[in-house]
Amino acid sequence: MNIKLVGGAALGLATMLVLSSCGGGGSSGTPADGGNTAAAGGAVTLKMVAADYGDGPGAPNSGDNFWKEVVAEFEKANPNIKVQVTVINWNDIDKQVATMVQNGQAPDILQTGDYSGFVKDGLLHKVEEIVSPNVQQDLLAKFAEFGKVDGAAYGLPFVSSARALFYNKELFEKAGIAEPPKTWDELKAAAEKLKKSGVSQPFGLPLGQEEAQAEAFLWMLGNGGGYKDAAGKWAINSPANVETFTYVKGLVDAGLTSPNPGTKDRKTVWEDFAAGKVGMANGGPMSIPIFDKGAVKDKYGVVAIPGKTGPLNTTLGVMDWIMAFNQNKHPDEIKKFFDFFYTGPAAEKIVDLYKLLPVTNGGITKLSGDEKLKPFLDGLPNASFYPFQDPKWSELNTQIKQTMGGAVKDPAKTLGELQKVAETG
Amino acid sequence: MKKLEPLAWVGPAVLLIAGVVIWPVIEMIRSSFLQISRFGVVREGNFPDNYTKVFTSKDFGDIMVRSVIWVIAVVALTVLISLLLAQLFNQKFPGRKLARWALIAPWAASVLMTAIVFKWMLDPEVGVINLIRRDLGVFLNNTFGIEPSSLGLLGAMGGTSADQLGQASTAMPWLVFVAVFVSVPFTTYALLAGLATIPADIYEAARMDGASKFRTYWSITLPLLRPALTVAALINVMNVFNSFPIIWAMTKGQPGYDTATSTIFMYILKGSDIGASAAMSVVNFGMVIVLTIIFLRVSRWNKEVA
Repeated sequence: MNIKLVGGAALGLATMLVLSSCGGGGSSGTPADGGNTAAAGGAVTLKMVAADYGDGPGAPNSGDNFWKEVVAEFEKANPNIKVQVTVINWNDIDKQVATMVQNGQAPDILQTGDYSGFVKDGLLHKVEEIVSPNVQQDLLAKFAEFGKVDGAAYGLPFVSSARALFYNKELFEKAGIAEPPKTWDELKAAAEKLKKSGVSQPFGLPLGQEEAQAEAFLWMLGNGGGYKDAAGKWAINSPANVETFTYVKGLVDAGLTSPNPGTKDRKTVWEDFAAGKVGMANGGPMSIPIFDKGAVKDKYGVVAIPGKTGPLNTTLGVMDWIMAFNQNKHPDEIKKFFDFFYTGPAAEKIVDLYKLLPVTNGGITKLSGDEKLKPFLDGLPNASFYPFQDPKWSELNTQIKQTMGGAVKDPAKTLGELQKVAETG
Repeated sequence: MKKLEPLAWVGPAVLLIAGVVIWPVIEMIRSSFLQISRFGVVREGNFPDNYTKVFTSKDFGDIMVRSVIWVIAVVALTVLISLLLAQLFNQKFPGRKLARWALIAPWAASVLMTAIVFKWMLDPEVGVINLIRRDLGVFLNNTFGIEPSSLGLLGAMGGTSADQLGQASTAMPWLVFVAVFVSVPFTTYALLAGLATIPADIYEAARMDGASKFRTYWSITLPLLRPALTVAALINVMNVFNSFPIIWAMTKGQPGYDTATSTIFMYILKGSDIGASAAMSVVNFGMVIVLTIIFLRVSRWNKEVA
């Protein structure tokens, strides 16, 4: 019976071990061969982890395929350096990287949505250690600025995205509108004409959970507002913002927008635009493939977003980052790889393949011929950003996503409540 | 040593329960006392800040009241409909087998999938439910000269009145409907099983005594069905209270928090504050226990079932 007892306990223990290893790690797909030091023949192997901008493993545009080509070319030019890329989807990458770092197996290079979490613990190389000065100087200044913590740059902007106004040329023609709107007054007039010609959503207004913070910010910018004021203080319920949402409320009340904007996701609105049901909507380069698949292919135009008195000279900028961990001490090899990426065709290719925007002046010049991308590129160097460096932002952002839709019912109240969240938490 | 022998048999099960039930509960309660960063790093103990934050948040009261109403509405409707369906399916009629099989469908399909299908059917631009409403309106107008809007039907697609999930007042009934739709199969089958255990001779005796159909149902079927009914309803209470996918897929608790239940609220909190989210989980956990106790009291589980 002793044996039975031991056996039972062992079985139980084994069950628990299995369970805990499932729950704790979640690091499937992590190369665990420890090949992060010098490999045979004096060659250095750089381990890289990257997020997947494509449609996942197996898709023709998967991150695996993209990086395989980049690495093949790089290794041809640098036979002494091997690069081993692990591509992880956006949902899992943060968790898996955290596990790697906790286990002391940080990759040499990481490409993902944020870098700042690693700076405090001194895990990252400074930017000047890992790229040549000419690359660093070519980066868009406003973007590079956000890669700094306490004055020292750790994050390299990798790719970016921006917003502009998409309008349905066919619906505009049918409604007798000669030109896309440049001001709020023109926007309202155009929306009214669209409505009269039978368009159910003259302006697509996604203030629902998916990305209310973006749509709201674009409207705020149109009136010189924003989440913070020039002095860096929270100013969500500033008079300018209240005025902005009072104007938007007017549009909603007149039935000129998506119904119940506070429950509409950007995905839904873009799909409706693609189906030809929406007259105008704010979108990004990433909406181009969605629209091209729909009924509006070749029938839409892109212009700068209308502001209260004229088109915006800025736009919402969003960027992803690439960074290098200092644990394995390979700054020179990493520098070669980064220089290769930013100065070679790879940076251009990723932008083209995934409809992203470049983060270098050189990249913008190369793309300036593309008519659909022009409104985005024009706004990019002067882009505005979420105040994501403020520790309150993450909590505030959650709250904005959930409740911003209320601002088109009672602007002062909703914005005031959000301001309170920002100030007190 | 002989005394310890049973331990060898129950030991693994006990360890398993300890590992997958008790330990997470302890972790949940522990987390609710901590300040945890967005990346999952524990900063410090901060009891009772997480609880204060949850209890003082503007929407907390509404959300808890809504959760209770949600549970009562869904479970009551589910049980009522299931009692009728179970009675129906207990009769012999041609095609009964087929009908019983068909009832499984909503149960067999993933709840998330069902919720998404309903969300699409209710789409203000292309949803089939709105198409039917529109066509019905046109038909009524053409045939009987009734103005469709007087019946709550529409003349056109798109627009606010077609967007039923966009307002809490119309979204809530749809959420309840979908929740009932997915709960009915299980409940019906549980009650069917209960009906099958009632001996036929009791009904015979009742008939001999000249009891009416209603009287027979009320005095024989229902009391004898109680064990099955209690279990089915209790499982529903817990399921519905913790129900997440239906509301999340269809409204995400929006507009604002107007269609959120406590489970949705807990999940939204998780996006910004893991500690507060854990505190909300503890509140939820407590609510389930309280609801269960109240329910068992009301249904007098101990006295008459055992």
